[in-house]
Amino acid sequence: MSANGGFEPKIIAFLCNWCSYAGADKAGGMQKPYPPNVHIIRVMCSGRVDPHFILSAFAQGADGVLILACHPGDCHYKEGNCRALQRHRLLSLVLQQFGIVSARCRMDYVSAGEGEKFRRIITEMVEVLRKREALPE
Amino acid sequence: MAGGGVKIGIYFCNCGSNIADKISADAVREASRTFPDQPYVATVDFICSESGQEQFVESLTFERPDRVVVAACSPRDHEGTMQHCLARGGINPYLMQMVNIREQIAWVTEDRDRATEKAITAIRGAVYRVRLQEPLRKKQVAVCTDVLVIGAGPAGMKAAVSLAEAGRSVVLVERSPFIGGLPVRFDELFPALECAPCLLEPLMGELLHGDHSEAIELLTLAELWQVTGFYGNFIAKIKKKPRHVSLHGCIGCGECTLACPATTRNRLHNNGSEQKAVDFAFAGMLPNAPFLREEVCLRFQGSDCRACKDACPMGEDVIDLDEGESLLERNIGAIIIATGAGLFDASRLAGMGRGMLPDVYDALQFEHMLSSTGPTGGGIVTSSGEVPAAVAIIHCVGSLDGDHCAYCSGICCQYAFKFNHAISAKYPETVITHYHRELVAPGKEAYALMEAARTRRNSSFIRCDSGNYPVITPEGTGRLQVRGEDVVTIADMVILCPAIVPAEGADRLAALLDINRDCAGFYDELQGRMDASQSTLKGIYLAGACREPMDIQKALLEGMAAVGHALAGLQPGRMIEVEPATAEVATSRCAGCHLCSSVCPYHAISFDSEQHVSSVNGVLCRGCGTCVAACPAGAITGHHFTNEQILAEIEGLLK
Ligand code: FES
Repeated sequence: MSANGGFEPKIIAFLCNWCSYAGADKAGGMQKPYPPNVHIIRVMCSGRVDPHFILSAFAQGADGVLILACHPGDCHYKEGNCRALQRHRLLSLVLQQFGIVSARCRMDYVSAGEGEKFRRIITEMVEVLRKREALPE
Repeated sequence: MAGGGVKIGIYFCNCGSNIADKISADAVREASRTFPDQPYVATVDFICSESGQEQFVESLTFERPDRVVVAACSPRDHEGTMQHCLARGGINPYLMQMVNIREQIAWVTEDRDRATEKAITAIRGAVYRVRLQEPLRKKQVAVCTDVLVIGAGPAGMKAAVSLAEAGRSVVLVERSPFIGGLPVRFDELFPALECAPCLLEPLMGELLHGDHSEAIELLTLAELWQVTGFYGNFIAKIKKKPRHVSLHGCIGCGECTLACPATTRNRLHNNGSEQKAVDFAFAGMLPNAPFLREEVCLRFQGSDCRACKDACPMGEDVIDLDEGESLLERNIGAIIIATGAGLFDASRLAGMGRGMLPDVYDALQFEHMLSSTGPTGGGIVTSSGEVPAAVAIIHCVGSLDGDHCAYCSGICCQYAFKFNHAISAKYPETVITHYHRELVAPGKEAYALMEAARTRRNSSFIRCDSGNYPVITPEGTGRLQVRGEDVVTIADMVILCPAIVPAEGADRLAALLDINRDCAGFYDELQGRMDASQSTLKGIYLAGACREPMDIQKALLEGMAAVGHALAGLQPGRMIEVEPATAEVATSRCAGCHLCSSVCPYHAISFDSEQHVSSVNGVLCRGCGTCVAACPAGAITGHHFTNEQILAEIEGLLK
């Protein structure tokens, strides 16, 4: 809970090492604050993100999960981000069956230069989830 | 996996005030009491500085932790530095996890308490993860440092000679009977109009009889047949067609050619001259030894002719009429592909008359016409033997065209200007009309030739930007009518400048080597800008126009670039190191479903059909983890990023 008593969502974000993690570092370099609700897990490529990780994060109380990848065509392992996208699409369908709406599990692309975009994605997602409250246990 | 009682050290870098201002080390220390295994927390002022590193290493040596968490800046800045410190402190570098509390927390969180809270969460995640990290070691693999070069054009020759100079053994495979590629048959090269064979001569000399040519095994009329193995340890099978003339015994006197009774039309000369069954492909060809075309030789049509053999002044052994095809096997560590390119077949464009009208030539045919060893001895004449009063040069044939070649080949305009120059030099009165979609003259040298063509009295340029190609039709008096846009001109000769396309057989070679091609069919680079000399497969390098249309200067440079990779990667007496943070299949759990190999971008996963299991080649794997996530049986471990480690990190973050 934040100081003002409002709901503060917890977001687990999987960032690929080469573009998105660098994009988050870039946002750091700009030294402009964004909500601290996101906890970053570094993976070499978004293609490493096993749907199981996402389910496990939700099961342990995450309010949202974010996968950030290199832009299409820019993956440092050729097509890992395409795999990630395919898996994300399928998983979104499954999650909806459990009542987890798509806003809670987002995938997006952030390049090493897009610090500003990274900030925007985090800020937006936190705002959306603040309105949605916590998932039921 | 680490059991209970693991000693974990958390090293907290203040980074001057960068981190300390926003995150309280004391609060972290306090919180760490609730972490599993109760880590100790040490603070360092600037852990990346020299004194910081000393302090870190000293503490590691003193404390001897089992696992280490470094909470500091981004691992992109200093993971390597920290890993080296661990190694210096006698701890396996893979037993450390870095937490980015500067870029991703201190610098981006307004409120000090919330920054501290976020840092504690992140460090807790790292502690959970690091407990499960395992010591990993780089494996060493012995390698063969010999290199296979495919294609003896400018790029391949440069590569072979330079490798030999560096002391490497080279197998140079060339499918034609001669070396030098396409340009060795040209007369002058753009942009400076130097003589092509003269420019290539020293390089060809180095290759055939230079100080290091002993180290080069040149196989002509040869093609790669099969490749097995991987980077550092390939086995190549090469199919060699019979030349019937020994490169070692032959002195190139041509007595056999004179004596040979069988003839055929010379395709290089637009069928304008004759060739013998045993003959040179063109005058001055190297190696200076003729070859025998079985499809023309009488002996292969049932006769017992041996005129060539009898005429040879060097004895019985030079010409071997019974020589058969052979399959050679060579061990090599790396492969350089330098197979060059070809021309777009302009006969695919209806209305351009290519293949129908005898005075419509493509650029290669015109190059042969310009060559002093060509069908006209360098004379520019029409099929009826006349000097052309008007010539149309048509650029961008098949280029900049989504239906054919959706790219600009970059060199056609330049040789078109060269053609303009060559015609002008001989026949200043000949009218030349250039039809083009775009005109390009990149680089520091090309403009002069373009300007010369543009300012020439009898030259004009017509821009065709409607997307339609000029239409060429016979005109009553035996001349040609060229209609481009709405302009009609009359010409005696039309020269087409078609797009540069992948060489014939590029598809077969790609399939054989398991490397990718781009949408135009050229070999695909590992990364178009950062790693353009490497193919998608480790240890297979690309040089020259097999990768992208380019001129000779660039092809030679690319030959050297590929050599750089081969020399840097494979060194005599040095093993290659295999990154340990790669994938591994637990064969006992593998169901043999092939999903992993279908998602692997590096062809690093092979299937053992006897045991019905997949396995990952550690030399080829780059550790992306896509197969790990894909395996439905959970049979693949992505070392240093295992499921257990990542799940533990998630657990730690959400506790
Ligand atoms: S490396 Fe960024 S998505 Fe694959």
